[in-house]
Amino acid sequence: MSRIREVAYYAGLWLIALIFFAPIAWIVMSSFKTRTDILAVPPKFLFSPTLENYEALFSRSEIFVQIGNSILLSLGAVIIAVVVSFLAAFCFSRFRPKGTDFLMFLLLSIRMLPGPAVILPVFLMYVGFGWKDSHLWLMLFYAMFSIPFSVWILKGFLDGVSTRFDETGRVNGGSWAHIIFKVVMPQVRPGLIAAFIFNLIFVWNEYLFNFIIGGVNTQNIPYALMVGTYADGGVAWTFIATMTSLYLVVPVVFIYLFQKYLLVGMTFGTVRGEV
Amino acid sequence: MTTDISVTSVDESRPAKRRRSRPRLFENRTVLVLALLAPVLTFFIVFNTIPTLWLLGLSFYNYSLTSGMPPDFVGFRNFFAILASKNAIWFDLSRTFTFVLCGVTIQTLLGGMLGFLFWGSKKMPGRRIALTMLFAPMVLTPVATGTFFRFIYDPTFGVLNYIARAGFGAGPIDFLGDPDLAFWSVLAVDCWMWTPFMTLMTLAALGSVPTAELEAAEIDRVPMWRRLPLVIWHHGKFILMLGILLRTIDSFKTLDLIIPMTKGGPGQNTRLVALELNKQAFESFNMGWSSAYAVLLLLISIAMTSVFIFVLNLRRRRESGS
Repeated sequence: MSRIREVAYYAGLWLIALIFFAPIAWIVMSSFKTRTDILAVPPKFLFSPTLENYEALFSRSEIFVQIGNSILLSLGAVIIAVVVSFLAAFCFSRFRPKGTDFLMFLLLSIRMLPGPAVILPVFLMYVGFGWKDSHLWLMLFYAMFSIPFSVWILKGFLDGVSTRFDETGRVNGGSWAHIIFKVVMPQVRPGLIAAFIFNLIFVWNEYLFNFIIGGVNTQNIPYALMVGTYADGGVAWTFIATMTSLYLVVPVVFIYLFQKYLLVGMTFGTVRGEV
Repeated sequence: MTTDISVTSVDESRPAKRRRSRPRLFENRTVLVLALLAPVLTFFIVFNTIPTLWLLGLSFYNYSLTSGMPPDFVGFRNFFAILASKNAIWFDLSRTFTFVLCGVTIQTLLGGMLGFLFWGSKKMPGRRIALTMLFAPMVLTPVATGTFFRFIYDPTFGVLNYIARAGFGAGPIDFLGDPDLAFWSVLAVDCWMWTPFMTLMTLAALGSVPTAELEAAEIDRVPMWRRLPLVIWHHGKFILMLGILLRTIDSFKTLDLIIPMTKGGPGQNTRLVALELNKQAFESFNMGWSSAYAVLLLLISIAMTSVFIFVLNLRRRRESGS
């Protein structure tokens, strides 16, 4: 390839990436505009940036609760899910108890069902037991919902670790706990990271379950976005732009930092490799 | 003594003590299997099995949370009502399948093309940032995406209308309010979100082609259009198929992207199955009817999951065979 063709090729690829990023860039730009600038016709591409939207956002006391809820729910649920899933995935991978395939299938099918169909009976159960709007129970439900994904990813990685390691450990008199946590676990670290990151993004993004079985106490950022759309007799565009810009920092930074896990994370661990 | 050190590599005073105190219970295979599975099974039974059985049971009852009446057993009448009604599931399903079919086709073609373009970009300057920008749409919450696309689509101050007016001289277009346009506008956003996913899958599929075979084709001067079916498709098809299947299943579930944009309207033009179920269950609180509807969706999901697993096993069998 000649030099000029190479430059044109890379410039073209950059252009494609920029086109896909443009709507996001537009919303982030809007968060630095005043309300009149946002609603200006024709839209303003050049404007004097202001931080007043962020000041207004942080002057609302509930915003800290919402961000706190988002962090608490996603971290809590994902930590529980990854630990529990690792044990189950080890069991599926090493001992293959009867019904492994069926259980793996059932686990996956939860994630294949439309959200309202999953949450409908859970909603009735939560109302019946008075578990609605509680951090703990919402977190446990999120953990349950993150388990299928984690089990699938981790089983894929564990299948790749030779059973020789277990055998060596056993022969040398190591306990199962030692083999599981000290011998095998360090070898599937990429799987643990992928499961952790992608479940975290999932719970961080989740709206419906939080809305249906959570409530005012447990509201996270997507919930706040949805509920806060209308304010003062109109659409609160400044709030939406600011809140969205603030929220999307986490997923975007994550896919920058953990790009090599993106593929495994987006495909339930069924496709491995890097892009 | 030496064996213990090689495994645990801790100070010498402890191994002897440790050996005696190690719980013998977990040495039994059955106990160990059960202990490892117990947490997952507990979660699964409490939050999934029991609710699903509850759902199955409720689908045979006429039960509304708003009327305050106790559930009333009606047998299969909910299912008959859903399947026989002209305006219920058939309409939603046809909308949903149009959405899935158009969406997945566009995303696969466009994503595939982009995948081929990005194939040779290993040495691109700033590749990581460019890829982050390209893949960003798919990791954002659909709620936020839907909301800010309403902003971009807005007929008066939306930037897209400005471009349409300045570039093509078109009058104000109400992308989300026009009954003919709303469905396609929503679909366009879905394509924006998920085309990068198909690009990712295409890149993975291309990456699974052994370099040795590509080099062989290069040396044999096999032309590009012959290389595609002979070498690339042969190795890449499974990953691409998994991508298409995952996308089909995911797109069938679309819900929170559409709620902030159109709420299923105007009229019923963007009413997909998940939206209808959401509305009936959590706005009208028709629990019996919704349960029956959810059971029907469950059957469809199980069918789709089976196809996914089938393709996955095909790939496994081929990999272990070759």
